[in-house]
Amino acid sequence: MLATNSDIVNPLFLPDSIFLSEQTSKEAVFKDVSEQLVKKGLVKETFLENLIKREESFPTGMDLFVVNPSLPNIGIPHTEGEFVNTRCIIPVKLMTPVTFNNMIHPSATLEVSFLFMILNNDPGAQTNILSDIMGFISTVDPKQLNEFFNYTDTEKIYQFLQEKF
Amino acid sequence: MIKILAACGAGVNSSHQIKDSIETEMANRGYNVQADAVVVKDINEEMMAKYDIFTPISTPDLGFTIPIPIVEAGPILYRIPVMAIPVFDELEKTIKDNNLQ
Repeated sequence: MLATNSDIVNPLFLPDSIFLSEQTSKEAVFKDVSEQLVKKGLVKETFLENLIKREESFPTGMDLFVVNPSLPNIGIPHTEGEFVNTRCIIPVKLMTPVTFNNMIHPSATLEVSFLFMILNNDPGAQTNILSDIMGFISTVDPKQLNEFFNYTDTEKIYQFLQEKF
Repeated sequence: MIKILAACGAGVNSSHQIKDSIETEMANRGYNVQADAVVVKDINEEMMAKYDIFTPISTPDLGFTIPIPIVEAGPILYRIPVMAIPVFDELEKTIKDNNLQ
């Protein structure tokens, strides 16, 4: 039988690795998520300290106002490939917006509502994960994206990403 | 050949996107450009001396004076023309102003 579009699974997202976080600081969010990623074998024990260190020096908050003023801001935390064991995206819905510094203007802060945490142990791969995330943000209908960013059901988040990413 | 050094904190995502975008767009504009993507902490004066233009996301403190022109390339990451085109325009102006080829 021929595969249909609905049969094709995007391997960048894992159905059991999508998180909701009630934490109110980025360090606490990172700690919660990292602990679960270590348990799943997706990252190394040293991931958390390097993620925090990297975020301090090279922040990853992205102001989406320039894409569409209705969209909430996102963060794309990540660190060097040597601290991770795979290549995927970990979506994290922040139930309370968390303050990040702006990636492009590091001294400025912004409130972030959703994370696309990038795990990438293969930087030379043909497709660029960050570029794919920004392509997703800039091409999906903003009304649908806003609904997506408000989802508090990890299954819904996964399905939307499988359909639209 | 114009050599460009792209850099980001982890060297796995942003700098590669900037490298790919710059190589594609500058080729479209008729320039012979080659970009490399590196981790900021790996940059030293010896490495920097091999390049014509530095394109970080935003200018980092490297602990030494950067001797080549800097074009901050962060807006390219948005993948939308209104953000990216001014960066490419500045890059093209830098190439022309410095007679790079």
